[in-house]
Amino acid sequence: MHLDQLQRVSGYGDRVDRFAAATKPSADIARTIDRINKVAFGFKAYRSRDIAVETSRTFQVVSRFHRAIGVITIVASSVFLLCIMVLKVEERRRDIAALRLIGISRASVVRSIIIESAVVAVLGSVLGVALGWAASLLVNWHYQALYRTPLEFSIVTTPVVAFAVSLSLLLGVGAGLLASLRLARTPPLELFGR
Amino acid sequence: MLGVAIAAAMLLDMVMLATGMRESFRELLLSRGFELRLAPKGTLPFDTDATIPGVSAITEVLRRNPDIREISPVMGASIHIPSGNRDVSGSALGVDPSVQGDYELLSGRDVTTADAIVVNDYLLNQLHARVGDTLNAATGYDPQTRTYSGQQKLVITGRVSFIYGATEQSAAAMRRETLEGMSGKDKRDRASLFMVRVRKGADAERVRDWIETQLPNVTAISIATALAQVDARLSYFRQLAIILGAVSLFVGFLLVTTLVTVSVNERAGEIAVMRAIGISKAHVVQQIVIEGVGISFAGAILGLGLGLVTARYLNTILSAFPGLPMAIDFFLFQPRSAWSALALLIASGIAAGVYPAWRAASLPIAETLRREAIA
Repeated sequence: MHLDQLQRVSGYGDRVDRFAAATKPSADIARTIDRINKVAFGFKAYRSRDIAVETSRTFQVVSRFHRAIGVITIVASSVFLLCIMVLKVEERRRDIAALRLIGISRASVVRSIIIESAVVAVLGSVLGVALGWAASLLVNWHYQALYRTPLEFSIVTTPVVAFAVSLSLLLGVGAGLLASLRLARTPPLELFGR
Repeated sequence: MLGVAIAAAMLLDMVMLATGMRESFRELLLSRGFELRLAPKGTLPFDTDATIPGVSAITEVLRRNPDIREISPVMGASIHIPSGNRDVSGSALGVDPSVQGDYELLSGRDVTTADAIVVNDYLLNQLHARVGDTLNAATGYDPQTRTYSGQQKLVITGRVSFIYGATEQSAAAMRRETLEGMSGKDKRDRASLFMVRVRKGADAERVRDWIETQLPNVTAISIATALAQVDARLSYFRQLAIILGAVSLFVGFLLVTTLVTVSVNERAGEIAVMRAIGISKAHVVQQIVIEGVGISFAGAILGLGLGLVTARYLNTILSAFPGLPMAIDFFLFQPRSAWSALALLIASGIAAGVYPAWRAASLPIAETLRREAIA
C-alpha cells in the first residue's frame, strides 16, 4: 500500500523506519554520507554495500563453511590422486626398467609420466567442469523451489572454472612428478627385481 | 592408508553433521526438563514481538490438567542502559525465578527482589560493571530525541549464563512483574512464552493437544514439533551431509578396490600356486576380502582422530551463525555415529574386495603360473 496509508493504519504518524537514497553517478558518496549525518541527530547514513555485508552474516558463515569443505575435499582428492598415481606407476615398474636399460634417460621417463598425468588431469577437469555445471543447475533448481526464492545458491563463473582447472592440473602434475621420481631414482635392475 | 583415513574422517564428520544438530537441539530443549512451550498463535518462541494476553487466566487453565507439573511464564523485551555517553542495548527476560528454565546462575544471587537484575558476562563487559552495581535500565529508547521510557534503577545481583543465548549477545533477566511494570500498561499480564513441565510418565503430546483445545490463541510446541521445525529449517545441512558422506564412502570404496586390485595383481603367481595345491576359490576370495576389510578398518581407526579434529574446526565455523544458541553443536560426537561410519566402511571394504578377489581366484592356474615364471 502507499506509505501514507500504512502510516495511517498503523498509527505511526509522520514517521518511517528508514530512507533509501540514490545518488548521482558523479556524487562523492563519503561526502554525501557526512553531510546527511550532520543534518540532524537521531539517524545515521550508511552505504547500501555496508548494510548488505552486515546483514548477510548468515551467508558469510555458510560461505566460510563451504570454503572449508572445499579445502578438505581438495586435500582428500590430492591424497587419493597421489595414491592412484603411485600405484599406477608401480604397476609399470618393469616397463620403466626396460626403457632405462635401453638408454632412455631418467628425465625422459619422468617427463612422459608427467605429460600423461597432465593429460589425465585436463580430461578429468573437462569432465569435472561439466559435472559441476550440471550439479550447480540441480542445486539451484532444488533450493529455489524449496525456499521459494529467485536467489542463486550456486554460480559457475569463468574465474571459478579457471581456478578449478588450474588447481586440477597443478595437483595432477604434482602427483605424477612425485610418483615418477621415486621410480626414476631406483636402479633399473632393482626395478626388475634382480 | 592415508587416503582411506581421510575418506573415513570425512564420512564420520558427515554422519555427525547429519544427526548432530538434531540431537544437540533436543538436549538443549530438555536441559531444564520443560517438555512443552506455548507461543502466540502461529509463531515460534521469540520469533516476533507478539505476546500472549491473560497470563493469570492461562496459568489457571493449565493447572487444571493433572499432568502439568510446572508452569513458567516468560516475558521478553529489549532493554537500554546508558553507559557513559553511549547506549548499551540488549534483550531482557522477565521470569519467575522459582520455576525459570532460561539461565544458570554463575555467581551472586538470583532475582529474588523487585529491583534485582542478573546479567550475562557479555553485557557486564559492555557496561564495564560488576555485581553489586546499580543500573538505570529502560525498556524504550528514542534515538532521535535520545530519551528513555520505562526507566528503573536495578541492582546487578548475579552473573548468569543464558541457556538459549547466542555468542556476543547482551542479555539480562529480572522478575516478570518488574519488566511488566517497566514496559507499561500494554504489557500488563502478558507473556512472550510459557514453558511447561509435565509430570513424569505423562504423555507430552497428549498434554500438547489438550492445551491447544483449551487455549486456541496459543501454539503449543512439544520437543518433537520443535525438532521437526529445526529439521525443516536446517535441512540443507542434512542434505549436504548425506551427499558428501556418500561421496566419501564412494571414494573410500574406490581406493580400497584399487589397493586390493594392485595387491592381487602383484601376487597373481602366489594365488595361482595356492589354487594349484588345492586351496579352494572361496578360501582365496575370503583371504582377499579380509585384506580389504583390514585396510578399511585400519583407515577407520586413523580417520577417527582426524575426523574429530576437522569436526571441531567445522563446528567453530558454523557456531558463528547469528542468533544461534551457544549450546548448539552442528557436529556432535555420539558413539552411534562412530559405529555407523565404521559399519559403512567395513561394508564398503567387503564390497571393494569381492570383485578383484573373485577375478584373481578365477584366473586359469597353469597359464598364470607359466606367465609369472617367465616374468
